[in-house]
Amino acid sequence: MSATTLRDKQEVFRDELVMRDRIAALLGDGPKTVPELAAALGRPSHEVLAWVAAMRRYGRVEERGKANDEGYFAYALKA
Amino acid sequence: MADAAKLAVVRGPSTSALGLQPSYDVLVVGGGIAGMESALTLGDMGYKVLLVEKEASVGGKMILLSKVFPTLDCASCISTPKMAATSHHPNITTLLYSEIEGISRDDGGLFRVRLRRKPTFVDWAACTGCGECEIVCTVALPDEFNADLVARRATHIAFPQAVPKKAVVDRFGTSPCSFTCPAGVKAHGYVSLVRAGKYDEAFRLHMEDAPLPGSLSRACYAPCEGECTRGTLEGTVPIRAIKRFMVDRYYAAHPIPEYGPSAATRAERVAVVGSGPAGLSAAYHLARRGYPVTVFEAAPLAGGMLRYAIPAYRLPKDVVDRDILNVTALGVELRTGTPVGSLAALRADGFAAAYLATGTMEGYALGVPGEDLDGVMDCMGFLKRVNGGEPLDLKGKTVMVVGGGNSAIDPARMAVRLGAAKVVIQYRRSRTEMPAHDWEIEAALEEGVELQVLHTPVRFLGEGGRLTAVESLTMRLGEPDASGRRAPIPVEGSETRVPVDLVVLAIGLKPSTGSFASEVELNRNGTVKVDAETLQTSLSHVFAGGDAVTGPSMIVQAIGQGKRAAFYIDRFLRGEALAGVRFDEPLPVVDKAEVVARVANITPRPAAPRHERPVAERLAAMAEVELPVSEDEARQGAARCLDCGGCSECHQCVQACPAHAFHFEMREEKAEELVRSVIVSTGFKLFDGRKKPLLGYGRFPNVINAMEMDRLLAPTRPYNTVLRPSDGKAPDNIAYVLCTGSRDCTVDHRLCSRVCCMYSLKQAQLILGALPLADVTIYYMDIRAFGKGYEEFFQQARGMGVTFVKGKVAQVDERPNGNLTVTYEDIEGGGGKRQMEHDLVVLSVGLLPNRDALQLFPGGQLEADPNSYVREVDEDLEPGRTSIPGVFVAGTASAARDIPDTVLHAGAAAAQTAAYLKRMEEGR
Repeated sequence: MSATTLRDKQEVFRDELVMRDRIAALLGDGPKTVPELAAALGRPSHEVLAWVAAMRRYGRVEERGKANDEGYFAYALKA
Repeated sequence: MADAAKLAVVRGPSTSALGLQPSYDVLVVGGGIAGMESALTLGDMGYKVLLVEKEASVGGKMILLSKVFPTLDCASCISTPKMAATSHHPNITTLLYSEIEGISRDDGGLFRVRLRRKPTFVDWAACTGCGECEIVCTVALPDEFNADLVARRATHIAFPQAVPKKAVVDRFGTSPCSFTCPAGVKAHGYVSLVRAGKYDEAFRLHMEDAPLPGSLSRACYAPCEGECTRGTLEGTVPIRAIKRFMVDRYYAAHPIPEYGPSAATRAERVAVVGSGPAGLSAAYHLARRGYPVTVFEAAPLAGGMLRYAIPAYRLPKDVVDRDILNVTALGVELRTGTPVGSLAALRADGFAAAYLATGTMEGYALGVPGEDLDGVMDCMGFLKRVNGGEPLDLKGKTVMVVGGGNSAIDPARMAVRLGAAKVVIQYRRSRTEMPAHDWEIEAALEEGVELQVLHTPVRFLGEGGRLTAVESLTMRLGEPDASGRRAPIPVEGSETRVPVDLVVLAIGLKPSTGSFASEVELNRNGTVKVDAETLQTSLSHVFAGGDAVTGPSMIVQAIGQGKRAAFYIDRFLRGEALAGVRFDEPLPVVDKAEVVARVANITPRPAAPRHERPVAERLAAMAEVELPVSEDEARQGAARCLDCGGCSECHQCVQACPAHAFHFEMREEKAEELVRSVIVSTGFKLFDGRKKPLLGYGRFPNVINAMEMDRLLAPTRPYNTVLRPSDGKAPDNIAYVLCTGSRDCTVDHRLCSRVCCMYSLKQAQLILGALPLADVTIYYMDIRAFGKGYEEFFQQARGMGVTFVKGKVAQVDERPNGNLTVTYEDIEGGGGKRQMEHDLVVLSVGLLPNRDALQLFPGGQLEADPNSYVREVDEDLEPGRTSIPGVFVAGTASAARDIPDTVLHAGAAAAQTAAYLKRMEEGR
C-alpha cells in the first residue's frame, strides 16, 4: 500500500494560495528543489510540486539550470 | 461573442408546418477535430453551419496532445489552423460555452434545438486574452486542460492556444456565505483574498457593500458562518474572525480613510434620519452615488445601536468611530443632537428625499405594578446611559434583568462590570427556549451572571418611590404556542419575593417612529409600512429601513436595508421606475451537498481557534472580550474555505482587466434553433484508471495516465519538463501498461481502443527525446500497429531502445522512495510472475463511448450500438448515418478511432449530410 496519503487535488491546489508566500520566503534564501522545500515546510513533496508548478505558471518562480544528479530542478523566485 | 447575435430565438410551437424557416442547414454538436472537419467541409460547400461546443474554445481533445503519430507533427500546429478556420469561416457560426438541452425532429423533418448558453461573465468582444485576470484571481481549481496536474484559476483562459482566446469565470452559483448575507457582503470574496494574503484588497471588497466592517467584525451574528458548507463537516470557516483580522490590520495602517469626498454629481439633497447602521449605510451608498447627504441624529453621538446598545466589551467605541469615518469621509454631513420631528420640515428645508432609520431605541414595558419605581429601567435606557458614558455605580447591588433574548444578556454582563454583587437573568421559560445565542448565555454565566428560568416578575415593590424587591411567580411549560416554543404557565401560589436594587426590563424593543405617525403609514407594531422590495413608504419621497421597519434585527440586516434604500432612492430621484426593478439578483445559491461531493475525500482540519480574554481580566475593565486571531490563524482559517461557488466574487479580475471586460451580471441564456440536419461529434471519454485499483492510479502519485503524460510532454506542459508528480524528479525509468481499461471484461470494456499502442509508442519516443538517458518499458499483450506507417513507427521505437515486455501487469505497489514495483506475467521470458522497479508508471488508458451523445435526443431515438457508441445503421456503405434520418455521427462518437480515421470519418459524415440536404432541397 501507499506510503503517501493523497489528498484530493482540489484541496491541495487550494492550499497553494496560502503556501505560496511561505515558499517564496524560503526561496528568498536561495534556489531550492521540491524535496528541499518539502522538508522545510513539513509537507508532502507531491503537494509542494503542485504549489511550485502553479507558482511557476503564474510567474512567481522559475527553474534554475538543469536537474541535479538526483534528477531534481532547483526553483528560484522569478526576477 | 459576436456570433451570439446571429442566433434567432424561436419561441412557441414553431414547426416547419407553421412556415418557419430553419436558421441553419446543419447543427454540429461538438467542436473537436471531427466536428471542425465536418463543419468546415459543409461550410466550404456553402451550407450554413451552427457548431455548438460546451467548452470555451474549439479544439476538443486533439489540442491537448503533444504530438500525433506516426508523423510526430505538433498537435497544436495542425489543430490551430483548423480551429481558426472554423472560428472565422463565413458559413460557420460557432456557439461556444454552450450546451444542447435537447433536439427533437418535427413532422416536416426539421430539428428543433434547445440551447443553453452558459454565462462567461466576460465580454468576449472586449477581452484581449491578456491573462491579467488569471494572475490576480484568488481561487485555484484543477486545470482540466492539463489533466488536473496543476492548478488554474476560477477566472481563466481555457488554454494558451484557445480559439478564441478569451477568459471565462467559473461560477457554479453564489456561495452560501455570500448568498445569506443580508448586506450582500461577499464573504467568500474577502475570505479568499485573506487566504491569498491580499488583506487591503479584502477590506476594500467589503467596502463595496458595507461601510462598517469594524462593527460587523465584532458584533455581527455572522449568518454567513451559519450557512458555511464547511460547517456541515468538521467546523465552519471563521469568517467573522477573518474579517476582524483584516479590519484591525487595515485600521491600524489607515487611521483615516484612503479616500476623500465623492464627487457631488447629483444636486438633490437627501436626509437620513438616524445614524445607526441602517442610516450610515444608506448615507454611504447615496454619497457614493454622488448625492449630498445629511444624517440627523437625535443623540449626542452617532452610531445608534452600535454606539448605545452594544457594550464596549463587545464593540469598542473607537472601532465605531473609525467605521463612521468611512461614511463621513465621503462628505456626508453628520448632525448629532438634532432630532427630526417632521418629514414635512425636511421637505421644506430642501431635501428631495428622506430615509427613516430611527431604529428601536426604546424598550417595551412589562405592564406589572411598580414598573414606574426608581430602579426599574428598560434595557435601552440602561445601555444608553452606560454606553453614553453616564456614571452608574452598581457596587454591591443586586440587579435583575428580565428577559431571555440577547438584549437581556448585554445589560446583565454590563452590570457585572459595573460592580454588581449579584446579577440574575430571570426568564419565564426554560433555557432551551431562550432566544439569546447559547454562546452569549455561556459567556454571561462564566462571568458570574445567574440564570433564573421558569420565573416571571408580577410586581415590583418599593419604598419611597425606590425599588426594593421583586415579587415573582414560578412558571411551568405547557404546549407550544404560536412561536413554536412551549408556553409558560403560572404556577398558582408560587409567589416569592427577593430584594433587588435594580431591574432592567429586556423583553423587547419598540420602533422609534412615533414622531412620524401622522406623516407616514405605520404598522400596528409601530414599524414603518414600506414596500418590501423598494423600502418606499406611503410618502413617495420617503423611504425607511433598518429596525424601524423590521423590528429588532441584526446589524448586518440594517446595513443591507440602507444599501437597498440607497439604490431605490437613487432611482426615485432620477425619475426611474421602481416597480419591477430588482435591487440585487445574485446567482442561485450552490447546493452544499454538491460542494461536498466535488471533493473525493475532504481532509479534516483543526478547528479554527477562538481567543478570549480571561474572565478576571475582562471584568477588571471594559476590555474587549474577544481577542483577534493571528495572521497565520486568519490565513489557515481562510484555507478551510471550500470555494463553494467557484469564483469568490473577490473582483480582482474586474480591477485588473485593462479592457473592462468583466460583467458579473451576465446570466444563462436559453435559445431555440431550427436546423435541417444534425451531426453528432461529441467525441469519446477516457477510461478512469481508478477502476483498476491494483494498478494504483489515484493512490500513488507516480502512477499517471497517458493523457497526463501527453500533457507533460506538450510545449504547454504543467511543469518545466517531464517530472514525476511525487516529488518533481525527472524520471529515468518509465513503464507503460497497455490495454488499461481496454480488451478487459472485468471493467465491461471488451473493445480494443485502437490508439493506445500507438500513442504509447509516440510518448516513448518523445520521452527518449526529452530524457535521453531514461529507460522506457512497455508492458503489452500485443502491439497493434495496423495503419499506414505504424509498423515502421513501432520499429523506430524499438530502434531507439524502448524495451517491450509481453505480459499483463497485475499490480503496482509503491516503495518508500516513491518508486513503483510492477508485478507482471512474463510471457516471453519463460512465463511466471516477475517484478520490476520503475520511477514512473503510465497507464495507457482506453477510449470509452461518450454516452452524453445519446441524451441529445430525449426519448432515445438516437440508437446506440452494443458498446454504447452512437450506432451507424450501415457502417460499411453509409458511414455516419444514424438511426434518425437527417442525423449523422462523426469521429469517435461512433467508435474509437485515431486522428486520421477521425478526420476521414468526419468527411464522410459531412458528405452524407450534404447528400441528405440536397435530397431535401429536391424533395426526394
